[in-house]
Amino acid sequence: MRTRDLRVLIVLVAVGAAALFGTAPAAQAPAGQAYAPPRTAAGHPDLQGVWRAWNLAKYDLEAHGAKPGVPAGLGFVVDPADGRIPYQPAALKRRAENSAGTKDPDPWKNADPLVKCYLPGVPRITYMGWPFQIIQTADVVTFNYEWSHKKRQVPVTAKVPPPPSPEDVLNWNGVPRGRFEGNTLVVDNTNFNGYAWFDMAGNFSSAALKVTERYTLLGPDTLQYEATMTDPKVFTRPWTIRMPLQRQKDVGILDYECTAMLDELGIHHTWPREFEPPDL
Amino acid sequence: MSTRVRFLLSTAALLCLVALMTVPAAGQGGRGGGAGAEGGRGGGRGAGVPPAGPIPRRADGKPDLTGRWDGSGGVLHNTVILEDHPGGFGIQSGKSLIVDPADGVIPYQPWALAERNRRRDDANGYEDQVGHCEIYEIARLASFAFDIAHASDGNGIIHHTQHITRVIDMNRRQHLPDGIRLWNGDTIGRWEGDTLVVDTTNLNAKGRMALGGDFYSADAHLVERFTMKDSNTISWTLTITDPKVFTRPWTMTSAVPMARRPPADNFDGEDTCHEGNVDLVHLKNVYDQAHGKGGAATWPPQYVQPPGGTR
Repeated sequence: MRTRDLRVLIVLVAVGAAALFGTAPAAQAPAGQAYAPPRTAAGHPDLQGVWRAWNLAKYDLEAHGAKPGVPAGLGFVVDPADGRIPYQPAALKRRAENSAGTKDPDPWKNADPLVKCYLPGVPRITYMGWPFQIIQTADVVTFNYEWSHKKRQVPVTAKVPPPPSPEDVLNWNGVPRGRFEGNTLVVDNTNFNGYAWFDMAGNFSSAALKVTERYTLLGPDTLQYEATMTDPKVFTRPWTIRMPLQRQKDVGILDYECTAMLDELGIHHTWPREFEPPDL
Repeated sequence: MSTRVRFLLSTAALLCLVALMTVPAAGQGGRGGGAGAEGGRGGGRGAGVPPAGPIPRRADGKPDLTGRWDGSGGVLHNTVILEDHPGGFGIQSGKSLIVDPADGVIPYQPWALAERNRRRDDANGYEDQVGHCEIYEIARLASFAFDIAHASDGNGIIHHTQHITRVIDMNRRQHLPDGIRLWNGDTIGRWEGDTLVVDTTNLNAKGRMALGGDFYSADAHLVERFTMKDSNTISWTLTITDPKVFTRPWTMTSAVPMARRPPADNFDGEDTCHEGNVDLVHLKNVYDQAHGKGGAATWPPQYVQPPGGTR
């Protein structure tokens, strides 16, 4: 009985701590550091390998009921504690419009940029369900994604200058700068163009988005992924998602050419390229 | 449509693609600016590269190929035509990249030469996967600057080329099962003395080797050889064996020996292409003119297959 009470107490304290500290990374750090990851020759935690998110995040980052073709899920937002993305009122309306625009599977008519095979953005590219390979050198961590052979190269040395001005560079996937904090790879992403979504439910941001990703090995085959989104134009406060990624041992990444799949379906991707930044 | 128009269209498409790939956020209301990490064009080629010296070596004694390399000779015409070709029509003249057979002509079987020429026809330029911002084929990649890195797990070597990262598995000795077909195949590597031998099978035969329509079948076996000559030079050859398409194996090389370039120092670019691919509609218009509006009867491309098919 005492043991059970103690367990309940520990859980309550943990929940309280998570609520108190908000951005749970701090609360999570001890768990991450319990596992001593292998190190590369450069002394960095060795995150190399093929990883995949086997979960429902691609459908909706928030808790949601079942819809046609979509399993119900509990969501991945760990902060705020209510699991909801802290939208400003006008942005919530925009999210609803986004979601309503996803009904038609025709890429010419669907509002989800991913249906047109546009770059998925960060963090969405992580949990779409396709695997990715992490490759490390002393200076650069490369994320090599199976989806449409995309890659992100994250410099992790002080030799690389700070990100350019958003006046000069705006990217779908942002501009990354990385560093190691203990056992965690931290990637700060800025310079987003604001066109990408977070999931199939229409969750979105503006070009003011900043994303801080944290990759921490919890064991040999489990990589914890965490991303904190900050966008004062769309959200009332920063919010954080967290999920485990599983190591894929059977083979390296293969390929999935998204636009070639449209070709094979007989869908021409010659639509006009008209991009509207989120209008709030 | 005339050959002249064909080349103008093709070249326009190529130049647009190059522009799209090297200017971040092109076609998205981006404001230009920062040079991409891709391409390695211009900007003081050769500057910042120390004089050639002995072959650098890794701890295991093998050549250290780390660095940025460029075998294009500064021009891109071989992404259009691999064989000897005259100048004009918007492209520079070029010598054949084929070193074997000695006549520099790709030894196609007759049916395959007809199919190559069908693909080369401007009416079918819309079929080229690169115009759709899809994957660059292995030989085609060799016309651009690229980076080689020895991954710290010791078993991967990376190419960062025109959007494509090829991870060469240095530990696996067997190719993947036949049923897995990939755009750039399954690639495994091994050392033969100082030569890195890169062996590729399991291809899907959906792409082409150049805008000019050169191709091989899904049964092709590709062997690349990277041989370091000195600290600043790599000799690269690609030998293609495919009895379904060619009368004999043949070998090509890069326009010039791959030369060291200053290392990549800009990671702010992004490999956008499809997002701003406004040029595709022009290629489709030409295709529609030749095949009937919408090209419905012929799209996706109905490639002529080798007699007897492939695996």
